[in-house]
Amino acid sequence: MSPPAGKTPAGEQPADDIEYADPGLARARTELAWTRTAIAFAALGAALLKFRPVVGLPVLVISAVVWRLGRLPGAAGAGHGRDRRPLLITVTTTGVSLVALVLSFLGQGIISLR
Amino acid sequence: MTDQPGGPDPATTSTDGDGTEPDARYTFANERTFLAWSRTSLALVVGGLAIAQLLPPFPGIPWGRHVIGTPLILLGCAVSVISYFEWKASQHALRHGRPLPRSRLPQILAIAIAVIGLTAAVLALLSAVAAR
Repeated sequence: MSPPAGKTPAGEQPADDIEYADPGLARARTELAWTRTAIAFAALGAALLKFRPVVGLPVLVISAVVWRLGRLPGAAGAGHGRDRRPLLITVTTTGVSLVALVLSFLGQGIISLR
Repeated sequence: MTDQPGGPDPATTSTDGDGTEPDARYTFANERTFLAWSRTSLALVVGGLAIAQLLPPFPGIPWGRHVIGTPLILLGCAVSVISYFEWKASQHALRHGRPLPRSRLPQILAIAIAVIGLTAAVLALLSAVAAR
């Protein structure tokens, strides 16, 4: 069990870094990393929405799902190594990449934006 | 792992067929690294798509945008997949108390971006010559 914030277990030297004293900060930073990833998906979705609404809307929905995934207990929270969230992110990112690849060959580029 | 800060606590340490539960901070750090690579992957995809769709065509080289944009999108796809396997390998190493495997992604990314950048420079020069 992790010690309370700012306290170290008996028999241990006080930590120089606050992170070593309180793993809760690591959890908070990880949640922020999930939020940044969700924002990255949202930015891509908003950009796609501009010229391909059919593709942009699902990507925006995915960004909300990614944000929610970041709030779920992962491998560290659940206490086992079977965390499926990274696989889900990888499959999603790969799918978005392939869609982007197809989109890059469709349309007339900048002309279609006018 | 004996060098982990805090060390595994017997009260919360679980063992199963896949090693021992490591210090949560290492698991979080590994997860954050994976997420950072995923964002890099998305940035590459967005960059490639923007180049292919938004950049004005190179004068005299109509396929030039795709020569830059397509590799960026494929690189984004590759970074996403490789980062997953690296996350998995690191998690496995953490659970078994082994040294973390060396990441090849920085090398792959640096070389690929350098090649794409050089290609873009050559295309820009060729289009400038063609425009004269």
